[in-house]
Amino acid sequence: MTLSKLKELVQQVLPEVDVLIGYKQGFDPVHATPAFVTKPEQINDLIWNPLCVHNLCSYLPFMKDKKVGVIVKGCDSRTIVQYMQEKLIDRTKVRVIGIPCRGVISVNKVLHAVNHQPIESINFEGGNLVVKTPEGPKTIPMDEVMPAKCSICQYPTPLNYDHLVGEAIQSDKPKEKVFEDIKEFEKLSLEERRKYWEKEFDRCIRCYACRNACPMCVCQDQCLAESRDSHWTSQRDDLTEKYMFHMIHSLHLAGRCIECGECERVCPMEIPVAKIKKKIGMELKELFDYVPGINPEDTPPMYTFKAEEATIQEHKL
Amino acid sequence: MSVVAEKELRIIGFLCNWCSYGGADTAGVSRFKQPTDLRIIRVPCSGRVNPLFIVKALLNGADGVLVSGCHPRDCHYSEGNYYARRRLEMLKRMLPFLGIDERRFHYTWVSASEGARWQKTVTDFTKVIHELGPMNRQPAVSDKPSAKIT
Amino acid sequence: MAHSGFIPKDNLNSVIEALSKKARLFVPVEEGDLVLFKPFAAGQTMCFSRPANLPPKAVIFPQSDVLFDFNLKKDMENLKKVEVELKENLDFPSTIIVGCRPCDAQGFRIYDRVYLEAGATDPYYKGRREKTTIITLTCNAPSPGCFCTSVGRGPADEDGSDLLMTELPKGYYLEAVTDKGEAVLKELGLADGSAYREEAEKAQESAAKAVRKPFASLEKTPEKLIGLFDDQQFWEAEAAKCISCGACTYLCPTCYCFNITDEQAGSRGERIRSWDACMFAHFTLEASGHNPRPSKAQRLKNRVGHKFSYYPTRYKGVTACCGCGRCIRYCPVSVDISEIVAHVQGAQG
Repeated sequence: MTLSKLKELVQQVLPEVDVLIGYKQGFDPVHATPAFVTKPEQINDLIWNPLCVHNLCSYLPFMKDKKVGVIVKGCDSRTIVQYMQEKLIDRTKVRVIGIPCRGVISVNKVLHAVNHQPIESINFEGGNLVVKTPEGPKTIPMDEVMPAKCSICQYPTPLNYDHLVGEAIQSDKPKEKVFEDIKEFEKLSLEERRKYWEKEFDRCIRCYACRNACPMCVCQDQCLAESRDSHWTSQRDDLTEKYMFHMIHSLHLAGRCIECGECERVCPMEIPVAKIKKKIGMELKELFDYVPGINPEDTPPMYTFKAEEATIQEHKL
Repeated sequence: MSVVAEKELRIIGFLCNWCSYGGADTAGVSRFKQPTDLRIIRVPCSGRVNPLFIVKALLNGADGVLVSGCHPRDCHYSEGNYYARRRLEMLKRMLPFLGIDERRFHYTWVSASEGARWQKTVTDFTKVIHELGPMNRQPAVSDKPSAKIT
Repeated sequence: MAHSGFIPKDNLNSVIEALSKKARLFVPVEEGDLVLFKPFAAGQTMCFSRPANLPPKAVIFPQSDVLFDFNLKKDMENLKKVEVELKENLDFPSTIIVGCRPCDAQGFRIYDRVYLEAGATDPYYKGRREKTTIITLTCNAPSPGCFCTSVGRGPADEDGSDLLMTELPKGYYLEAVTDKGEAVLKELGLADGSAYREEAEKAQESAAKAVRKPFASLEKTPEKLIGLFDDQQFWEAEAAKCISCGACTYLCPTCYCFNITDEQAGSRGERIRSWDACMFAHFTLEASGHNPRPSKAQRLKNRVGHKFSYYPTRYKGVTACCGCGRCIRYCPVSVDISEIVAHVQGAQG
C-alpha cells in the first residue's frame, strides 16, 4: 500500500528534481541500499520496508548544486530541520517525501537472532519478521530486532516534509523511557565506565565510517581528526588516539546531534558510539530544555547564550 | 618540588588574557603564596577554549585542567565567556560518563583585581588534584617498547 | 604427495593449545557479535563457524607500525651539529595464525608481490611474513556477499596458506601446503588423514559450487577499466551512495596502502607506518593544497581500478581482490564492488 503510494509520489516529484534518493534492495535479503533515481524506469526498483535504515539526508549538504528529492522517516526528518537551522541546505531546492514509520530493523540484531546464519529470505508479517536461513524459518518479533532509537521513538511522523505518504501517526512509546539506558549506564562506577569505554574504543580501527555517515559531520575532508598540522590525533593506534577521535566527533555534535543513530549503525566494529551522543542529548534537555532538529527557527544552544543561565551554577571547589 | 620528584602533579591552566591572567599577576605581585603545579597557557578569552583542549590535555599527560575567564558581564569581548560557560558546563557533565573524574576539570571566573580569589582557586584546585592523584593514562611515547607488534 | 593429518572434533582445542606453546598464536575469537583475531588465551570463545570480521592482516602488516625510534642529539660544543640516533627492532617472534580463511591467506600473497619484490624488499613485512605460519580453514559454505570463485580463487584455495584444514562431520582434515606447514604437521604428531582426503575434496567442491558468481570472467576487465578512466559520469553514478569512509579498505585483506609519519615530542620521536586508504581525501592531498582526486567518484574509481586493472596489469594478471566480500557485507551503504565490476564489463566504450 505505502509502497505504491510512494511510487506515485516519486513519479510526480521526479520531473521537478535532478535526482531522487530512496531505497532499493541491496546485495542480500537483509540489506537495503540507497537508490539514486534519475529515470522513471528506476522507480520500480524502490522499496519501502523496515530494511530502510539509512538516513538519506546525509547526502544533501554535498549535493547543493542539484535539485534533490529525498525520502525521509520521522527520525531522518529532524536532519532536514537541523540543516535549515544551520543553513546547510537550500530548502527550496530539496523535495522531501516523508513516510510515517513504526520502526526499522537493526541488521546486527537480526544476524544475532539467527546465530549469524546466511539469510535466504526475509518477510514482514504483522509485528513480526520471518527470517529464512539454512536452519529453516524463524519468526522474530520486530521489537526484539529494532535499533535502540526505534524503541523510544518520539517522532514517528516526519516533522518537515513537502509530501507525506499515508496518514500521520502518533508515538506509542513513553517519553519517560527515552533516557532510561543512559541512566542505567550511569549507575556504574567511574572506574567501570572507564573500563567499558576503553574496551569499546580499543576495537576502533579509525575507518571514520561513523563520521562520514553522520549527517551533521559536514566538515568531512577538513575534519580535525585528519589534520596533520594541529596534531589533534596522531597515526598511532593506541587507545588515547581512538578516545580522542571519539571525543572530537561527539563534542562537535553537542546541541546538533539529531540522534538518527547512523554513527552506531555503520560501525564495522560495533562500538556503541551513539550512547555518548545520547548522553549529550540528555544533558541538553536538562540544561536548556532543548531537543535538536525540531523547529527550523531555533538556534542550536551552543551557538547562543543567556546572560543569566538558570540551570548553570558556579562550581565550588 | 619538581615533577621529577613526583611530588608535583601536572595541572594545566587556560587563563584569559584580560582578567584571570591579570588576576594571577596580581596574586604574584602581592606575593601571595601559591602551589606551583599549575602551568599557565594564556588565551585571548575563555571563549577561545575549545573543550577539546581540556580533553586532549587530560588524555595526554595532565592530571587536572583549570579554565578561568572574566566574570559574566565582564568579558573583554562582551560575550566570549557566555559561550564558554555553556560549552564547559557540557564538557563537565560529559567527562564522568566517559570515565574521567569531573573534579579533574574546573572552570571559574577571576578578575584582574582578584589576586586573593586567584590564590584561593589555585590552592584549592591543586589540593583537589593531589587528593585524586595522578591520572590513569596510557603509557607515554618514550615508555613504550620500540617497534611494537600487534 | 603432501602429508596429511586428522583432528577429531573434540581434540581441536587441545591441538590449538599445543600450538600456542610453540609460538605466538592468533585465533579467531568471539567478542560480542564480532569475530576478531586475538592472541590465544585460555578461556576465550573461539569461533570457526564464520569468517572473522577483520582479516588477520594486522598480524603481518600492523595498522600502526613503529619503524624506528629516533633521538636528535645536539652537540653542546657546536650547536649546528645534530646527530640522529636511530633504534629499530627487526627481531620478530615466530607466529602462527589459525583459522583464517583461504581469502585471508591470499591477501598476504597480494602483499608479497609488492613488499618482497627484488630491489624493493620491505624488511618489516619480510621479517614478520617469514616468521608466520598460516593454518587456514577452508570454507564449507559461502558468506553473504563473497565471490571468490569469480576472481579466480576458491573456498579451498591453498595459495598463501601453509596448512589447509577442512571441516568434516567427524573432525578436521589437514593437508600441508608448504614446508612450514609440513613441519607443524610433523610436530603435532597427528594421525595420518589420507583416509579422509576424498571426503574433504568432495566437501571443497560442493562449497565452490555454492559461491555466487556476479560475473563470468575477468578477461578484458583491466582494459575496460582503463577505457572508462575518463568517464566521470559512469563513476559518479557508481559512487553516488558511497560515503567515502575507509571501512572497505581497512577490512580488506588485500589493501596494503600506507602512510608514513614522524611523531615527535621534543628531541625524541618515532617514525610510524600506518594503514591509509584511497577512500580518504587526504590520501592524495599534495603539499601545495592541490588534490588530484578531490571527489569520491575518483577515489572509488581508484579502489576498483587498483584491484582489477593496475595490479593485474603489473603482476601477470593476478587480481588484487580475493572476493572475501567484507567490503560489501560491512559497507555502511552496501556499495557492492562485484556489482561495479559487472557494470564495468557491461559498459559501452
